[in-house]
Amino acid sequence: MKFKDKHRFVKSNMKRNKTRVWMTILASTMGCAFLIMLASVGFAIHKTAIDDVMSYRLMNEIEIQKENGPLVEKDVKNLEKIKNVKAVSRKKYVPASEMSLGEYTVYAEVNSANIPSERKAGLQLEKGRMPKSKNEVIIGHHFAQELRKEMPENFTEGMSEEEAQKKMKELAYDRDLLNQTLTYHMKVDQPESKTDAEIKTVQVKVVGIKEKPKKEWMIDSSVLITDDLRDEIMPLLSEMDPELKNNDDSYSSVKVYTSSAEDVKAVSEKIKDKGYLTYSVVSELKELNIYFTLFKAGLIFIGGIAVLIASIGIFNTMTMAVTERSQDIGIMKAIGATPKTIKRIFLLESGYIGLWGVGLGTLLAYLISYGVNFALPIIVEQFMNEKPPEDFILSYIPWSLTAIAVTICMSVTLLSGWRPAAKATTVDVLKALRRDV
Amino acid sequence: MISVRDLSYAFKIGKKEKENVIPVLHHVDLHVAEGEIVAIIGRSGSGKSTLLNLISGYIKSQTGDIVINGKQVSKLSESKWAEFRLEHLGFIFQSFQLIPSMTAYENVELPLVLKGVSEKDRKDQTLRMLKRVGLDQYQSHYPGELSGGQQQRVSIARALILNPPLILADEPTGSLDSENERELLNFIKELNEKDGITFLIITHDHEVASIAHRKVEIRDGYLREGSMLYEVQR
Repeated sequence: MKFKDKHRFVKSNMKRNKTRVWMTILASTMGCAFLIMLASVGFAIHKTAIDDVMSYRLMNEIEIQKENGPLVEKDVKNLEKIKNVKAVSRKKYVPASEMSLGEYTVYAEVNSANIPSERKAGLQLEKGRMPKSKNEVIIGHHFAQELRKEMPENFTEGMSEEEAQKKMKELAYDRDLLNQTLTYHMKVDQPESKTDAEIKTVQVKVVGIKEKPKKEWMIDSSVLITDDLRDEIMPLLSEMDPELKNNDDSYSSVKVYTSSAEDVKAVSEKIKDKGYLTYSVVSELKELNIYFTLFKAGLIFIGGIAVLIASIGIFNTMTMAVTERSQDIGIMKAIGATPKTIKRIFLLESGYIGLWGVGLGTLLAYLISYGVNFALPIIVEQFMNEKPPEDFILSYIPWSLTAIAVTICMSVTLLSGWRPAAKATTVDVLKALRRDV
Repeated sequence: MISVRDLSYAFKIGKKEKENVIPVLHHVDLHVAEGEIVAIIGRSGSGKSTLLNLISGYIKSQTGDIVINGKQVSKLSESKWAEFRLEHLGFIFQSFQLIPSMTAYENVELPLVLKGVSEKDRKDQTLRMLKRVGLDQYQSHYPGELSGGQQQRVSIARALILNPPLILADEPTGSLDSENERELLNFIKELNEKDGITFLIITHDHEVASIAHRKVEIRDGYLREGSMLYEVQR
């Protein structure tokens, strides 16, 4: 018997018991949708956690620390020799943060860096170029909005937070900073530093502006200066704070970038062998993934119970179908239908019920997921007067979840249809012909 | 065509190991030649239907051999039996045994569907067969919408659709009035004479038995050969 004919046969049988079949499909739909929705919560939390980790760090980034003492140039050279290391980003903190442009002032985080290494590590500029000479600097994307006129006393008093922010914005520098010259004040940040000393200044030119951080809520108002400029200004700062002389060679941050994310594990091992401490997002993700995989498996298991309950409906429907059609089965067997043909017809029928259930269930789950993600922030905002985080999602259905759910539902469906189908093959021809079944 | 040798059968009734054994057939030997119409007659409970069910493969033989068309069928598996039935045997039942949810066309087409014949060929053959039994106007009628005689003709069309060399008929006129009975018997004779189809008919009706070339009587499970009315024409 050809598949097309089996399909036709099954279709006409299903049409004869429309209500019962649709009720069974509905049960499968609910089971499948419940499974997907429940697991989608786990997938959403996992995704949020990973996105959160990834928003701070790159996959191929390894942070380096030394157990005894700070990292110095020798360590960097050592790290650069390791195979598959693309770049070693090293930054030295500059303990002077005040910069100004006319009447505008900012207190920014200033670091010196080896510019070629930063470029290799993947530093991206929104506009401008990398520094080529000593007095050229790169500024963060939000530097301009932090560069403000001096705030009068009690400037924001009595204002709401929103109004205060608006007023502060009015004080911020609102023109393009690229190619502007800033005045860098050689003033040590610590309060105990000598304040009565004459404050020297250095003129620096903005040649590049960094890309906007991926997370909207992240503010980057940092400044990146060249190592040469740091070498020039550190003696000036050390005059104010002699303590600074001791740490002049040490790096405040060293990060290794591998050629690809796959190399992170091997490179980390080699770095550890050399006696350094490492931390990479891959190791954090590994822990995170194990935890969330177990969590998601648990949710899928609970969701699977709903599918199992739905499968009882399919079993029941198919058993009734076999009982009702025993006479037809008997006639078909009497003419020459093989048990295999009979079994396949009934398996196909339960398969169709499952397929409809899975299809509709998946569609329903996607609709609910979309609706929940759309409506929940509005509801939370309306009734709890709190704004959920910008990227917040309660439900996330990746293709892998759909595939898992479809596999589970279809397997359970076929299993529940198996016994009735097997029962159909055992229908006694003579009893069926005598209408004794 | 059919060769039954030393066939015995007993029904087992009741629970296992405490079952009652009721012998039905005793050492039956029967030979049906190609082109013959053989009528098996006997009273109710004599074992004639059991013999036909054994030859049809609806019940599995316990002892003895059944050979149909040169094939030893008594040891076939259920699947192989089904395939053999589809290929070599046609069936006419007393109560027609049509599938109520299928139209006359679909009922006649069913063996072709089971055999996997293409839709186009099926259509040609089914319509031709319905025409042959005079039911081409009723192809889209369900069995419930047809008279007994018409239902039996649908049943015959279904039995003939795959051109089987042998048709097994169990009380074929049992549910028909005398006019339809006469029509059916004439049709059987025609099929036998024109197409050379062999018939093995179970009946207790002497009218039906009268068209047979040979009558075989079963009494209390023993087979008794009647008068030879026919000589196999070669």
